[in-house]
Amino acid sequence: MIRRILVVALLLSTLGVGAVSAQDGVTITWWSEVFSMPSNIQEVLVDAFNEAHPGITLEMVGQEDLNQTLRTAIQAGEAPDLLVTPGASFIAEYVDAGLVEPLDDAAAELGWADKVLDWAYQSGQLGGVLYSIPLTYESLVLFYNKTVFEENGWEAPTTFEEFEAIVAAAQDIGIYPLAYGNATWQPSNEHLMGMYLNAYAGRENVYKALVGEIPWTHESIVGATELLRRHIADDALFSGGLENYFANGGDDWRAEFASGEAAMILSGTWNFRSIGGFFEEAGNEWDWVPIPSMSDMAGEYGYELATGTTVSVNAQSPNKDAAIKALDFLISDPALVLKLAADVGFGEWVVPVHFGVDDFPEGTDERVVRFFSDFAAVTGEGRIGYTTWTFWPAAPNVHLWEAVENVWWGDISVEEYLEEHERLWQIERDAGNLLPVPAPAMGGM
Amino acid sequence: MAATQGTIQPGAVSLGGGSRRRELGRWLFILPVVFLNLVVIVGPALFGVYIAFTDWSGVGSMNFVGLENFARLLQDQVFWKALRNNLVWTAIFLVVPIVLGLLGAYMLTGIRRGQMFMRVAFFVPYVLPSVVTTHIWRYLMHPRVGLGQWLSDTFGIDFLDKAWLGSRDTALYGIAFMDNWHFWGFPLVLLLAAMSAVDVELYEVARLDGASRFQQFRHVTLPSIRPTLVFLLLMIAIWSALVFDYIFLTTGGGPANASEVMGTHLYTTAFERFQTGYAATIGLVMVLWVALVVGGFVYLRKRGWEI
Repeated sequence: MIRRILVVALLLSTLGVGAVSAQDGVTITWWSEVFSMPSNIQEVLVDAFNEAHPGITLEMVGQEDLNQTLRTAIQAGEAPDLLVTPGASFIAEYVDAGLVEPLDDAAAELGWADKVLDWAYQSGQLGGVLYSIPLTYESLVLFYNKTVFEENGWEAPTTFEEFEAIVAAAQDIGIYPLAYGNATWQPSNEHLMGMYLNAYAGRENVYKALVGEIPWTHESIVGATELLRRHIADDALFSGGLENYFANGGDDWRAEFASGEAAMILSGTWNFRSIGGFFEEAGNEWDWVPIPSMSDMAGEYGYELATGTTVSVNAQSPNKDAAIKALDFLISDPALVLKLAADVGFGEWVVPVHFGVDDFPEGTDERVVRFFSDFAAVTGEGRIGYTTWTFWPAAPNVHLWEAVENVWWGDISVEEYLEEHERLWQIERDAGNLLPVPAPAMGGM
Repeated sequence: MAATQGTIQPGAVSLGGGSRRRELGRWLFILPVVFLNLVVIVGPALFGVYIAFTDWSGVGSMNFVGLENFARLLQDQVFWKALRNNLVWTAIFLVVPIVLGLLGAYMLTGIRRGQMFMRVAFFVPYVLPSVVTTHIWRYLMHPRVGLGQWLSDTFGIDFLDKAWLGSRDTALYGIAFMDNWHFWGFPLVLLLAAMSAVDVELYEVARLDGASRFQQFRHVTLPSIRPTLVFLLLMIAIWSALVFDYIFLTTGGGPANASEVMGTHLYTTAFERFQTGYAATIGLVMVLWVALVVGGFVYLRKRGWEI
């Protein structure tokens, strides 16, 4: 009898322990790409969240080559509770596979639509359902070597005519007008393609092409592609010609630019993170301006919208509610977001939430604050453009940056390139694989 | 013959219950390895063959599409360019490192003091990680800060001052050069070991017959090291189908697909376009290549070649 009582007591105590564990022992995992992880993430996000949420333990784990690691983990059923992907276009296949939790109910309850910038919130939707929140956003601008400009009495270009005048002046004094290259990142081609599409064909035409109202063979798109082909191949504006462009890695063209061997670069705001070191070493100064419109079709300048990595909730996670709380904690505090972003030079972790100039940590570079302020004002007016890695489905996206090299080398014509591009888009349209595209302010041309 | 003289060859006899038990025992011992092989080799391989007939993206559901991926392969100009580059790569690697390895090994056989140091020196590049080798050579071949630029500025030697990896005329050969730099020590060491095992009496007899150094090499060394040589050629022909890292880390297959090989095309298709089904079809061609090489090797052996 005593033995029976002991067994029952043991069982009850085990159940009791189990109940306590279930209540207090929720651990959620969040994998992040190592190279882009802020060094203060443990203190600013993880510890702060864990302190504010007794009973939930958030674990942030750095991973090399996160996308491949995550795909493997998904196949093995070992994916973390929060799924980070390299971009919105990656989410679609996870949604198709039922791996991503719809977040509409949580978003409505927690007011996420008011917390996240409108266009960024839309970019996380597929078929009207919210599946992801961007973890960072960025855009493309024209960086210039301020020291070189001042030495030569040049002003930062605000129109295409001024841009062309600087190009000619730079060639006259024997420096490259622009530096760039794709040796260490072949898709760098798409930075240039995206810029020329938006700055020449204009936001309305790009939007219409994205939603299928005009084909990619439209004369405005042909004109943009031809202008870039002429600049990079015929005029050799980028680092002195195609061969140098293909031999240049990221460090090479940044060094060319910082040392004054090149006057400008057309690139992304992720350079806020890395460009300072090169200029410090060279003893020069840099600054940036919006990319000037390159044709009348483009109207007043705008900013291309780009989300970088995104975060979603794993549909197979047993701790979905806790994962949603972690997401909400991040996007509810602009000051926390900016602390993380400042740690990585505003090149990553710029979560697209509403923040004002006063939210930036003390000592933030004025050029960075100026960008985010202007970006908010300009995109708020609907002067938005479209980056290829955010709004293009995977296959047309790869075609855009891969096959354009054949155009530059003269293997195929611009028209042949765009006909194939249109064909690939049609396949995606037929399959219903299009990504959400926020509309620009129309009629502003 | 040997069995009739009293020695028992393993597995040659299958008489009685005891033998069957022994046979069963052997199978039981090998079973874990067979199981492991089925799980990590045969299973994924068969799965790979299956997904070549589907539209699988890499995650989620897959639909059977019959021969659609194979029809696409026939129309895929990038694939044909990649296949041609694989053939060029194979030709280069069947000749350059083998010739260098033979010459180096033959010359080293005449050296007694310092041979080990030279062996190590030649072999070191082979053990360097490809990411290190490509990083170094990318700078050495850079048109602005590279070796060619330095030679041009310092000595007026201009012919090396090119964007080796930036030009589509030279990109593939530039990468092949750096891979050869890293690889040739491997055949050298293997061939040196094979040459060291050749019976010295054969050389003495050849010398008595008045054979020159070249004739000794041609008629004594080469036939004696033929198994090693053929093994190297076989492995190079297989590895050349699978080449990936040096190209991926330097040009990614560019410029304009000039250095594209099947491996980089497969990678882009699977992990950039998310067309894993079609990527598996490209993978099947690589398997076919390897099968043809191995089949040729087996055929030659059956024809009595000593390889």
